[in-house]
Amino acid sequence: MFFLFSRIMSPAPTDATEYKPPDGGWGWVVVVGAHISIGFAYSTPKALSIFFKDIQEDLGASYSEIAWISSIMLAVMYAGGPVSSVLVKRFGSRPIVIVGGLMCGVSMVTASFGRSIVYLYLSIGIIGGCGLCFNLNASLTIISKYFLTKRPLANGLAMAGSPVFLCFLAPLNQFLLGDFGWRGSLLILGGMMLNCCVAGALMRPVTLPCNPAVQKNTEKTSKHNVSKKGRCRSNARKFLDLSFFKDRGFIIYLIGNTMFIFGAYAPIVFLSAYAVSQGVEEYSAAYLLSIMGFVDMFVRPGTGLIANSKWIRPRIQYFFGFAMVFNGACHLLCPMMKSYAFLVGYAVFFGIGFGMVFALIFECLMDLMGNQRFPSAVGLVTIIECFPMLLGPPTAGLLVDIFQDYKYLFFMCGAVIMSGGLFLIIMNIYHYHMLEKEKAEHNGAPSQNVENQDGVSLSEAQRESTTQTNGDPQDPSPDDSEPDVTDHF
Amino acid sequence: MENMPASWKLLLMLLLVLTASCGRVHAETLAPSPKPLASVPALSADMRKVAVLKSQNSTQNVQLLNPVNLSLECSLTADHNNLPNISAFWSQDGREIPDSRLTVALENQQYHLQRLFYISGEEMLGSYSCVFENGVRADFILATPPFGEVRDKPVVSYVRDFVVLPCKMEEAKPKPLSWRWFRGNKTHKEQISEQPERFQIHSEERKSKLKVINLTHEDAGVYYCGAVYAIGTTMNPIELKVITYQEPLKPFIGILIEVVLLVAVIFLCEKRRSKKNTSKGNEENVDQNNIKLQEEEKGAEEGSSMRQRKV
Repeated sequence: MFFLFSRIMSPAPTDATEYKPPDGGWGWVVVVGAHISIGFAYSTPKALSIFFKDIQEDLGASYSEIAWISSIMLAVMYAGGPVSSVLVKRFGSRPIVIVGGLMCGVSMVTASFGRSIVYLYLSIGIIGGCGLCFNLNASLTIISKYFLTKRPLANGLAMAGSPVFLCFLAPLNQFLLGDFGWRGSLLILGGMMLNCCVAGALMRPVTLPCNPAVQKNTEKTSKHNVSKKGRCRSNARKFLDLSFFKDRGFIIYLIGNTMFIFGAYAPIVFLSAYAVSQGVEEYSAAYLLSIMGFVDMFVRPGTGLIANSKWIRPRIQYFFGFAMVFNGACHLLCPMMKSYAFLVGYAVFFGIGFGMVFALIFECLMDLMGNQRFPSAVGLVTIIECFPMLLGPPTAGLLVDIFQDYKYLFFMCGAVIMSGGLFLIIMNIYHYHMLEKEKAEHNGAPSQNVENQDGVSLSEAQRESTTQTNGDPQDPSPDDSEPDVTDHF
Repeated sequence: MENMPASWKLLLMLLLVLTASCGRVHAETLAPSPKPLASVPALSADMRKVAVLKSQNSTQNVQLLNPVNLSLECSLTADHNNLPNISAFWSQDGREIPDSRLTVALENQQYHLQRLFYISGEEMLGSYSCVFENGVRADFILATPPFGEVRDKPVVSYVRDFVVLPCKMEEAKPKPLSWRWFRGNKTHKEQISEQPERFQIHSEERKSKLKVINLTHEDAGVYYCGAVYAIGTTMNPIELKVITYQEPLKPFIGILIEVVLLVAVIFLCEKRRSKKNTSKGNEENVDQNNIKLQEEEKGAEEGSSMRQRKV
């Protein structure tokens, strides 16, 4: 097993024919922008719940009707992935994040004038969700464009925006509510979300040096849509790129991820209720979530730093699997925590596990897919993740209702996440084993380079070797600027 | 009561009869109610509350719904002094009830004090205490069921808008007979009657909502939601703040200006930098061409140069 681990490396994430990511300099400013953008994207649906009680009273809605606002916002944020991918590939990250920020601002401002619950569904749920979706997708894409060697760290720092902004938005919303009521608070929140436009302004597009090597390839196939200005642009007309489903690595990632998302959010939703049922008072129970968020804030960049190290980077997919197993184990042990001190310990470890997984979740996809295919891949992943995310907490809630005991919820979530992690580890071993076999079949110089490498993975090396030996697209390396005859939709 | 010898029972009855006859005079000095304090003919209590004291004071909350004969008892455990007699009195809301001072004898290591009260209306509710000579006391706080969650933050709404003030009595507490809404301050409350254009009251068994329409600045203040029971009304204060649309607009405009400024500054800086770059443009083009040539030449080796970059 160890032999397998030591041999098998994780993907080199860039395309040699395109350009070398700057890996620093302005890239760190872009990370700040992505931090803000991602922070708003993940924390807004959660932070809005502070206003729900007042909105419920004023508009005369039931609790479940109000809770739909957050669910619609999250669903649209995830489901809009493919649309966002297409737009990002066409226009670049900067305009999309600016538009996303404007949409979020407009959504909150219009929501502050709302008179009915359906109006709020439309303004906060749909328009707000769209705006957040653009923010998320574009921010992740630009990180993949700016970083390669330091990419795990950049991803960790950017994803840390989510707990940081939640820690900051939650008390702010309470304060605004007391001073301005929910209408005024939504107005001011809309103004704050316009700061995403500032984040977008920071995301200067990377200037692609258009090398003749690429241009030669593009001239071969006239179907390809190349800009006449000379900027290399890949085929961005595809809306839903189903060719991804032929990629073994992608399928493995998708299944593991789906299992994680299914079990990930339910413990957060039910942690306070579980603590209260164990005899903890309500205020201390709410504090548990704050502890988890606080730990998460530091674990994400920390994980990015660790993942960047030369021992872990080549094996990042296994590290991801390990993080998921750790998270699952945490949940399985939770029902044994009866006293408040143990619950605090659980919250700390939960924060560690959650932060580790989320710091790596998009880094691993970038790792697998590479620079070019990442925008479409992330769109596809988010729209598929929409389903487990919406189904997870209600299923867990159903378990609680049937058995009248919270421990089955934690057992289910822990078991699903842990199996997802184990699945990832085992299937990745198999996947890289098969990749090595395929590479051995190709033969030639690339295989020698594979043994020298210490920071890149097998599938990436595979991609490079195939694009260089023969300019034709081959599975699994359709990521050069040539059109793939095989993928169209 | 059962432990007391017959002589003490007789004494108590005499006391009661005495207080009953003088009741009318004393009652006037105590409370606005004309009813005497203990003029009930029946001596049996509907409800009994006991406080056992040693050296510290104790406080008890007594929840009342209906008029009741309430027997309050205090048992003080004797300390090392072991005095044969100790004097004690009853007080209501901090003032000593006249003719309630008694000398209590030591019995089974305890001094036992008991008094029967007839609680007939809201004015009889309050704090009743038995106070012993050595300073130890027990307080009984008689009140209607309190509200569980008291909202500490004001409800904020806007001029010409409407607002709904909610009030809820939890499942664990007894159901009120009806709901009433008041506004004012602690001393003077005015009941709000339902006026179609201004106030709408919607009450259910355990919930009540006051909808105030077409708000003005004068509508701001404290509103009291009253859960009415037979013996009294529990008040829950809710503060209403009315502000104009300009109030949140000011911070919003401030943030908007900040965003526009930042975006403008970022774009300007970038334009300036790109101008500088284009002035050096020719040099850069030459460099780029060199890079391109190198990349072309390397071919397969290009990959290795990438991979050799240490992580």
